[in-house]
Amino acid sequence: MASAGARAQRPRTFADARAMASSSSELGWWVFMRISGLLLVPLAFGHLWANNMAFNAGEIDFAYVAGRLAQPSVKILDSFLLLFAMLHGVNGLRYSIEDYVKRPGRRFVWKMVLFTVAGIVFVLGVMTLWAFSFEEMGDAMRALGAE
Amino acid sequence: MYRGREGQWAFVFHRMSGVALALFLLLHVIDISLVMLGPDGPFDAFLVFYHNWPFRVGLIAVIAGVVYHGLNGLRIILMDFTSWGVRFQKPMWYGVLGLTTLIGIPVLWKIVPEILGVA
Ligand code: HEM
Ligand code: HEM
Repeated sequence: MASAGARAQRPRTFADARAMASSSSELGWWVFMRISGLLLVPLAFGHLWANNMAFNAGEIDFAYVAGRLAQPSVKILDSFLLLFAMLHGVNGLRYSIEDYVKRPGRRFVWKMVLFTVAGIVFVLGVMTLWAFSFEEMGDAMRALGAE
Repeated sequence: MYRGREGQWAFVFHRMSGVALALFLLLHVIDISLVMLGPDGPFDAFLVFYHNWPFRVGLIAVIAGVVYHGLNGLRIILMDFTSWGVRFQKPMWYGVLGLTTLIGIPVLWKIVPEILGVA
């Protein structure tokens, strides 16, 4: 097999990446994927350890999560996990969209859907970790629903 | 590197695991955000549903995905930034598969009995 399809067009080394990047922001994302990847190794592995190995994931409930999120260290590590995993994952999904969706109009729509959903989920994640006390937030959400 | 054979499979698995993890992450943040609705909210009921065995098996797949994708990501980084990385890409890929399997053993050992309810 001479061609590896989509991936064949991707750069292999930093020098290639610099030569092939269509813009400096593309090169920036290429570098970001690698830096965030390195950071995600301890963050994601640590998260999986805490919730699957140090605990029985089948027993996760409100009290467990509230207890975890009451620890500042968990809040801070989860915030970095949220930030880097979202940026890395969403940029990775964008690569896939650009590889598989060739029609410009459709490609644009897919990307806008992705960015919109990701933006909403990110805000939701930050709120869960930081914005309000659970009681206050619960009251606020119920008030919204009760209108 | 990505010319058929091992490199091609490494890429396909890397992409499949990456896309699956990113989609999982979007759902995961939404489901964890249900804790905002408080102790009497829907979180516990939702989690009871999630504790059914098909979802537990799904979580094992998520763990396997993170381990493979993470280790293979390190392999990609080595290929990109070292002079010898591309030369050793094939043995490194077998290393990634081997390590993923090795890490999988204690994970399965701990979680499968939990799912079967014999832990
Ligand atoms: C655990 C540590 C991780 C490392 C070391 C890592 C590393 C990498 C690397 C090096 C790439 C290639 C980027 C490129 O082609 O320029 C990549 C792609 C990708 N990653 Fe990760 N990653 C990690 C975790 C994650 C997580 C947690 C997610 C999901 C939220 C994710 C989703 C993706 C996606 C969707 C792609 C694009 C796949 C493609 O283009 O074929 N990664 N990752
Ligand atoms: C497979 C098993 C997993 C389990 C059982 C699990 C469980 C949990 C739990 C209980 C929380 C609440 C806070 C905490 O305890 O830290 C949480 C939050 C979080 N998890 Fe996971 N997790 C898993 C996998 C993942 C993976 C693979 C990722 C990353 C790609 C991830 C990213 C996050 C993030 C970003 C948060 C914070 C959410 C927020 O902002 O509200 N989790 N997870």
